[in-house]
This record gives sequence, C-alpha cells and structure tokens, in this order.
Amino acid sequence: MNANKNEILISVRDLKKYYKGDKIKALDGISNDIRRGEVVCIIGPSGSGKSTFLRSLNLLEVPTGGTINFAGQILTDRKTDINLCRQKMGMVFQHFNLFPHMTVMRNMTLAPMKLLGKTQEEAESRAMQLLTRVGLADRAQSYPSQLSGGQKQRIAIVRAMAMDPDVILFDEPTSALDPEMVGEVLDLMKALAEDGMTMVIVTHEMGFAREVADRIIFVDGGKIVEEGTPEEFFTNPKNPRLKDFLSKVL
Amino acid sequence: MDWFTKLVEEFEVAFIVDNRWKYIVSGIGSTLLLTFLSLVLGVVIGIVIAAVRSTYDKQYTDMRAGIGKTLLNIGNGFCKCYLTIFRGTPVMVQILIIFFVIMASSRNKMLCGVVAFGLNSAAYVAEIIRGGIMSIDPGQTEAGRSLGLNYVQTMAYIVLPQAFKNILPALANEFITLLKETSVAGYVGVTDLTRGANIIRGITYQSFWPLFAIAAIYLAMVMFFTWLVGKLERRLKNSER
Repeated sequence: MNANKNEILISVRDLKKYYKGDKIKALDGISNDIRRGEVVCIIGPSGSGKSTFLRSLNLLEVPTGGTINFAGQILTDRKTDINLCRQKMGMVFQHFNLFPHMTVMRNMTLAPMKLLGKTQEEAESRAMQLLTRVGLADRAQSYPSQLSGGQKQRIAIVRAMAMDPDVILFDEPTSALDPEMVGEVLDLMKALAEDGMTMVIVTHEMGFAREVADRIIFVDGGKIVEEGTPEEFFTNPKNPRLKDFLSKVL
Repeated sequence: MDWFTKLVEEFEVAFIVDNRWKYIVSGIGSTLLLTFLSLVLGVVIGIVIAAVRSTYDKQYTDMRAGIGKTLLNIGNGFCKCYLTIFRGTPVMVQILIIFFVIMASSRNKMLCGVVAFGLNSAAYVAEIIRGGIMSIDPGQTEAGRSLGLNYVQTMAYIVLPQAFKNILPALANEFITLLKETSVAGYVGVTDLTRGANIIRGITYQSFWPLFAIAAIYLAMVMFFTWLVGKLERRLKNSER
C-alpha cells in the first residue's frame, strides 16, 4: 500500500464554494496536494472554511468550482462514481455519527458487507481485529448509547478503517469530547499516523498537530494563508493573521 | 318502572328480533377491515410521496442540473398538489367523487371505500413520514454516504429504520383517526358499523339503542387502540438505550 510514499493521492485545484450566488465565499480558490502516507493538519479560526474544505474532499459539500483528483479519479466530474470513490475515503465526524440503532459490530460490518461483498464472517473477523487493536473488543455487541464519547469516537475511527480506505478525513474529531477523553482518541490517531495512514485532520489540538503532522495548513477567509512543516509553522510564522491566531490559541 | 320496561323492549326489537345484532357485528368487521386496508394503502402511497418530498428537501439544492433534477422538481410539485387537494377538501366529498365519478363502473363498494380513504390517508401519512425522515440528524446520512453507501442504501439501512421508530406512535394515531372517519363510508353503501345502525333504524324506527350502541362501540375501539398505542410508545422508549 505504501509503495509510493511520494505519490500524490489527492490533488485539489482552485477549489471554490460559494453560497447565495457568490455573496458568501466559504472556499475561495484552494489548491493543494496531499501525498500518500502524509498527515496534514488544517487549522484556522472558526468560519474560515477549514471544515468546508475537508467536507469538499469527499463531496459531502459539492464545490462551486475547481477540481479534486483522487487517485486518478476526477471527483468533481459528474461522470465519476462518487460512491465508489468514497469507499476509499474514510471520514470521522465531530459528533461521531455512529448508527444508534445498530450494535458496534453492525456499525462496522454494514458497509463492508453491502459494498465490498464481504461475507458476514469475513467482515466480523476484520471488525474484531480492529476492535481488539483499539481495546474495545468487549463492546462489540454494545449499542452506541452505552459507550463513552471517547469510545464512540474510537469506534467511528475503526468503522472508517473497516473499509480499508486510502485516506481518512477527520472533521474536528476531539471537539465534542470531554477533556479527559481527548487523549485516548489522539493516541489512536497517532498510532494510525505511525502506521502510514494518509490523514487529513481539521483540529484545534495544536499540540497534536505539532507532534504528529507532516504538514500544517492555515486556512482563513476561504484561502490557504500559510502552510509548512510544524517546525517552521510554530516557531517562525510569517503571516500576520497566523501570528495573531497562534498568539490566541497557544 | 315503565320507562325501563320500554327500554328493554326497545333493546329487544333493535338487536334480538331477527338477529339484528348481526348488522352491528358485521359492521364492526367492515369498519376494521376498511380502516386497516385504507391505512395500508395510505402508508404505501405515503411512503412514495414522503420519499419524493424529503429527497427534494434534502438533495435539491445540491443536485446538478439535469433530467434527474427536473423530474424531482415535477414530482415534488405533483406531490404538493396532491397534499393540498386531499387535505383541503372534505373526505366526504372525496368519497362521493370516487364512488360516483371516478369509480362509477365499480360494483365493489368496499374497494371504493378503501381507495377513497387510502388516498385521503396517504396525504396525512406522507407528512408524518416526511417529518420522521427530516427528524433524523443529517450526520447520519453523511456518515452513511461517507462510507460509500448510495442515497437509497443510506435511506434503507440507516435513516428509515430510525425514522420509522419515531413515527410509529403517530401512525397508530392516524389509524385511530381513520377508524372514526370511516363512519361516513355508509353514504356510498359500505355496510360499516354506522351503516349497520342506520339499517336497524330503518327497519325498527328506533334511534336510541342503535346509535348509542355504535357510539359506545366506537369509543371502546378507540380507547382500546389508544391504550395499545400508549403501550407501544412506552416499549419504544424503553428500547432506547
């Protein structure tokens, strides 16, 4: 899977998302390349368009203009089968979005069985493997409402992994968690990063971004204002808006 | 105790002589059958309307221009017209139109009744179901879609099972409302409970017993189903972990 460490996995060109005609520009021409195995953190003030950008990557938000190329498929082309592409792009949400009417096991096996043609046995053994890895094997038959926030989010992450995606998109994965549960989720994400999973993460956890990210992107006003390695990003920010932002959050 | 003896005599004339109670019993059967079949038809049509309407509500703004979008727009317009007409005219008028105009060639009165009440009920059921679908957190749809499930799969496996649980009590209440509304079916000759009482009135020239008897029977059925709905609601609540 990681044969080409430098292969570009997602290529975004001039991505635009306008609301109400063109009065509100949530995304105002974003271009970026995300390479296989890379961990990219997206930070920025609220309303900056960072979540819109992330959600555009798998077309949960349909962009107004621009192109997204994912592993050779032009997602923004209407002839592309977006459902097929989404199978390879996992997503983790701020509010977990586990299916409350299904057990943890069913949450994890639904998509692999319906979409990848796995038998129940195959899907369950893979799910069990993942659950064991995150230390939640004993919760396989629980319902989401019986789990803590941190457990829910860890299940949401392994639910995405059960599809064996090429990339996982994280939309503020720790923002809805009690402070004491943030650590367990970040630890799991860190382990994924170390395994070479490609990850795009919208986050407010600066410490995590600094430690785990290969590259950090600062978005403001629907544009990429600055990007760089964590090192230069935090120690030597150039853009005044980024300086201002960092002085508030650090 | 003159009045009492008279009441007993009247009771005998109304129900016992010539086994006239059979009009009431078969009327109960017809009323329940008519209500049940109408609700089934109403739910089937209601699901279709709700699917079109909620797809329009959720998807229309994000859809790319094309034949699909045009069809959805037309479908939604048609459904809105349907809802306006069937909720904006009396069910009595609707059943007369269906019986005397649209299905004038049909001799099956029960079928006419089912079609009339089914079409009418569909308008209300559709909005109940649409409300149920719209009440599900959009994050559920997003989670399903982000896994690669298509719109129909997401609806079938994720949204509808949750929505159905939420609307079950409202659907059961629609059944109870429908049960009472079917009392006008007698106007087109369906021998339902009300019609049964009217037949007895016609034969015996007595009104007291037949009318109070069916009032009591309607009330008893409504109370029974209300109790059942309450039980159902409590059970659904308990299953929410």
